[in-house]
Amino acid sequence: MTRGRLPAPFGQHIDRERPVTFTFEGETISGYAGDTVVSALLGEDRWLLSRSFKYHRPRGPLSLAGHDANTLVQTPEAANRLAEELPAEDTPVVTGQNYWGSLDKDRFSLLDRLGRFLPVGFYYRAFFKPQGIWHFWERFIRAAAGLGVANLAVQPTYSDKQYLFCDVAVIGGGPAGLNAALTAAEGGAQVLLVDENPYLGGALTYHRFDTAGTEAGPCLEQLRTAVTAHSGIRVLTDATCNAWFSDHYLPVFQGQRLFKVRARTCVLATGSSEQPVVFRNNDLPGILLCSALERLLMHHGVAPEQPLVVLAGNDAAYRTALTALDAGLTVAALVDLRPGANDPALTSALTEQGVPLYTQATVYQAEADASGTRLAAVRVHACSDEGTVGDDLAHIPCGLLAMSAGYMPAYQLACHGGAQLSYHDDRAGFSLSNLPQGMLLAGSVNSLHSLEAVCADGRNAGRAALEQLGLDAGAVEATECSERVNHPWPIFKHPKGREFVDFDEDLQIKDIINSARLGYRDIQLVKRYSTVGMGPSQGRHSALTTARLIARATDRTVSDTGVTTARPPVKPEPLGLIAGRRFHPIRRTSLHDRHLTLGAQMIPAGSWRRPGFYGRPEQRLAAIAREAQAVRSGVGMIDVSTLGGIDLRGPDAAEFLNRIYTYGFLKLPVGRTRYAVLTNEQGVVVDDGVAARLGEDHFYVTATTTGVDRVYRDMLRWNTQWRLELDIANVTSAYAAINVAGPNSRAVLEAAGCDLDLSAAGFPYLACREGQLAGLPVRLLRVGFVGELGFELHVPSLMAATLWDSLMAAGEDYDLQPFGVETQRLLRLEKGHIIVGQDTDGMSHPGEIGLNWAINNKKPFFVGGRSVTILAGQPLKRQLVGFTLGTGAPQPKEGHLVLRDGAIVGNVTSCEYSPTLDRIIGLAYAHPSDSEPGGSITIRTDDGVCVAAEVAALPFYDPDNARQTLCALKQPRPAWPAPCSRWHSRAAATRLWF
Amino acid sequence: MKIMHCPLNGPRNISEFTYGGQVHTMPDPKTCDDPSWARYVFYEDNDIGIVREWWQHTPSSYWFIAERHNGSDDILRTYDPGELFTDRVDFQTPGGES
Amino acid sequence: MASPLQSLAFEGGGNEALVLRDFRLARRAGVRGPGASDLLTSHGLPADIAPNRISDQSDRGLVMALSQREFWLLHPDAAASSQQPDSAALAAGAWPLYCQHSHAWLMLSGEPKAAMMAKLCGVDLGDGAFPLGQVAQTQMAHVSVVIAHHDYQNEAVFSLFVDQSLAEYAAGALIDAMSEFNQSGI
Repeated sequence: MTRGRLPAPFGQHIDRERPVTFTFEGETISGYAGDTVVSALLGEDRWLLSRSFKYHRPRGPLSLAGHDANTLVQTPEAANRLAEELPAEDTPVVTGQNYWGSLDKDRFSLLDRLGRFLPVGFYYRAFFKPQGIWHFWERFIRAAAGLGVANLAVQPTYSDKQYLFCDVAVIGGGPAGLNAALTAAEGGAQVLLVDENPYLGGALTYHRFDTAGTEAGPCLEQLRTAVTAHSGIRVLTDATCNAWFSDHYLPVFQGQRLFKVRARTCVLATGSSEQPVVFRNNDLPGILLCSALERLLMHHGVAPEQPLVVLAGNDAAYRTALTALDAGLTVAALVDLRPGANDPALTSALTEQGVPLYTQATVYQAEADASGTRLAAVRVHACSDEGTVGDDLAHIPCGLLAMSAGYMPAYQLACHGGAQLSYHDDRAGFSLSNLPQGMLLAGSVNSLHSLEAVCADGRNAGRAALEQLGLDAGAVEATECSERVNHPWPIFKHPKGREFVDFDEDLQIKDIINSARLGYRDIQLVKRYSTVGMGPSQGRHSALTTARLIARATDRTVSDTGVTTARPPVKPEPLGLIAGRRFHPIRRTSLHDRHLTLGAQMIPAGSWRRPGFYGRPEQRLAAIAREAQAVRSGVGMIDVSTLGGIDLRGPDAAEFLNRIYTYGFLKLPVGRTRYAVLTNEQGVVVDDGVAARLGEDHFYVTATTTGVDRVYRDMLRWNTQWRLELDIANVTSAYAAINVAGPNSRAVLEAAGCDLDLSAAGFPYLACREGQLAGLPVRLLRVGFVGELGFELHVPSLMAATLWDSLMAAGEDYDLQPFGVETQRLLRLEKGHIIVGQDTDGMSHPGEIGLNWAINNKKPFFVGGRSVTILAGQPLKRQLVGFTLGTGAPQPKEGHLVLRDGAIVGNVTSCEYSPTLDRIIGLAYAHPSDSEPGGSITIRTDDGVCVAAEVAALPFYDPDNARQTLCALKQPRPAWPAPCSRWHSRAAATRLWF
Repeated sequence: MKIMHCPLNGPRNISEFTYGGQVHTMPDPKTCDDPSWARYVFYEDNDIGIVREWWQHTPSSYWFIAERHNGSDDILRTYDPGELFTDRVDFQTPGGES
Repeated sequence: MASPLQSLAFEGGGNEALVLRDFRLARRAGVRGPGASDLLTSHGLPADIAPNRISDQSDRGLVMALSQREFWLLHPDAAASSQQPDSAALAAGAWPLYCQHSHAWLMLSGEPKAAMMAKLCGVDLGDGAFPLGQVAQTQMAHVSVVIAHHDYQNEAVFSLFVDQSLAEYAAGALIDAMSEFNQSGI
């Protein structure tokens, strides 16, 4: 049943008119809209929320700000959700996690008694030897340290990303952030204000900044109104800025979207984390931070009935006690670690209301009730500033303890930017310095705590941001604040231990000290050895204590010790948001739809999609054999639009090519092509293609599908240095290309209608022409990659489909067969043509792959020439050879090793079954002394089976190249396909191009 | 993400750029000895300090030079390669200027 | 010839909605080289356009400068030229580019176009940072794009030029990003 909630001004976030229910551990819990799962549970006086990671100790709320791991729960959708961030309204079913039995009676809690057998570094030390023992114990340990159950059936949700540009990004919507945003916006900047809470205001929504408690409300009201009304401020609430990256690039996630914020300046008003006091049993449910109690009262109006003890390391805790009194709580005592409050008004305000005060005292030990799961009393002892504990002063029954030992700046984002944390002994706190250009701090992250100072600091940061942007800002003045909020040593070691430094990882004082004793002096090593700060709270509540303990244990200052490196993300983030909407660019040739209509199986080639073969997947081998047969005996046609194309135009085009490629190009006649091999400066073959001289000053060069971008990039860079007179244009996408190959290819072209002499004499092998084919302007290259008479037709891409259709029509009488990449790979292998990138690797130089014939050593220079010469003077280490195997042998695969006397000497780069030759054929790197045809190489195939393959001369097929000059095998019927293209008309073929 | 100033296109995310290595002077490939050539091809200076690097703005295919401090990763200056490469380079004469 | 993107063409309702149109068959040409600006001048077109700016020459189309020596000429209302692309120099040091065939042309209009583009592109295309007449050579959904901000039929639009082999991909990414803005308009 729902207990009564406090009236306004308490409970600002709940809607008392709208009750909601959900179940926790099967029990129905009632609350109100606006409640979190935790506030509703606390409203029903249910304080045990989780079991700790290692000892399975009972845990309750600590920060109520989403900054600790004590409220991790399970929902049906996901594990490890922070109950204090889950709206009660939207979360129908919640259970605890990490227990055996029930949350209330966790059988694993026995582990707490075995604690002394589980010292720091236990896992490292206990399971190190004998080898393999970890694997035995692992399953038991994993069961005990379970972290909830992943829902494997969950459907991924759509998440995406969006850039968000602003002049000033203000992170944190508390009093400092609101003032900074307002000042910057009033100065003319576009401001983005980000806050992780569902509402703006930060500490103004719960914290009492003055004794009377009258300042925060009006201040919040005024700021909120002004910020909301200002058109120059965009507000993102429920949004977490999880990192700072170079040049103010901030990932901010909100719901299903990750905003990639790009700001020109950035104000961090991220606040600070209140620090716990470290004493025995300081983790019992019922013990929480002062700010958490304030949030509970002010946001949710939950007023626990049990007596409250306040443990104060600063004046702020006194004000928490006053708020609790206003809410009607019984304040059983205020225990001050110091000699007394700085502000005497606070002391009198409390004593007037009859609150017993203990000064220079601490809670030395907390005691649980009979169930062991709830605070029942505290034992108060005298103490010193150095952590020594004196006389027993009192034993106070209480169900609630609110503590504040001080504040640690929320330093994470600043440290992502390289800021330094330094410790100041005079005020026992860290501060940030050495901020990157354009990063500003405001408020308590800047070690300011009074409301007046925080607001002034926010305005200052706003002005400083304007100054950075070159806007008129007004004077920027450093803000001063003398209020001391940190106690120097709120750490009280108890002989029986259980004083928790890190709640996530169940680490006690002795664990930290023992790490130092074992030799881990460096704070980074202490973290790795003890796991301190590795849990979900990422050291928010443990870093300061750890730094102090290690400093003392190693006789250094806290500044010297420092804290561990803060790295992104600040809070756990869903991986789906990082992935976002995935972009996988896919390139299609102009003939894509034609291929699909013909039933092509499309396969990836770089980012392109190309037909592998035409036919159903289960008939792959038959389809490839049919297509290969068509090319060898009739005519086939393949879309080679993905081939790179580069136009080189200008008086120096030939000179440029001569420097880039290995062959000589100065004397290549117009109308001729030449094989073009590209080496890099190391002499490694990185690309190849065909260079066609279309004019005295005009070369058209092809490059490999995946290599063209790099070839183009390198060409541009070389000419940036050489300053030759030419234009280099990547025309890959401007030109589609179709290769028509086979004995009947010439006949098909003639049937399609061509204004060129296609005869063997008029258009010889390796010639190139520009002409009209089927009424379209086409660049024709007579090349023979697949080893048959063939023409490569390059056509402006918007005309490609028309050309394809005309060829299909013209080829009908010749049974023109479209063929795919898989067939092409087989055909070229039969012909012994290498594919750069498949048959070469990062070490292949021309000598290894039989390309010495393509090197011109007489040229003054080509890229890689010097290296090729040096390599040519050295003995070969391996050589690419052809091999064949009988069809009964296991077929080697690409990558299978070539062995010689048991040692690896090379690998298979290509291997296919050739229906034409009825043998398995392939290329492999072998030892140079095994490269003579007729010899044998050993290939280790699947399952380690070694086969002896015969080294064969290349090409496997048509060694005399006779096929390139074949004439038509079959006479065409006199059919003339009508070109159906709108491109046919050349009426407008004037030189006027616009 | 870091921002780089392209001399042609202005400030852009570093992901829009392609790195092209350090700016080296090529020794004369016809006359230098093998170790000098190998040093040119395989070695980067790798000293801490200001390095001069090739960068390309990928969408516009524009190459430029950046001077960057490789300790702080601050990009100090970017400029058109025309500042460094002013004259046509020829390889006609063996032993001549490279 | 039908629009290759017909099946993807997407138009929401209302004036606020985003509209993506396919101009792949509209005329465009380009010229590059040291003689490019002289050639423009000789045709009575302005050659003093700064790189990454676009200038409206009313009935003579739009002139877009991609560098000091590269210019594209865009005619949204003229059909693609049916002549073969020139490859020979148009004047000394002025080489024609094959923009008609190398790049697809998409046009985006509607009020929230900059906010929508922020889902795909890392350059701020808001009016403040990217005013009318500005051009950005950048990346969109991981592919290169030229974005030009100009007027078309009395409305400020973005012209997007992507490699023609990526047109379907780019249109798909745009339409996916547009859907959240157009839901209320339909």
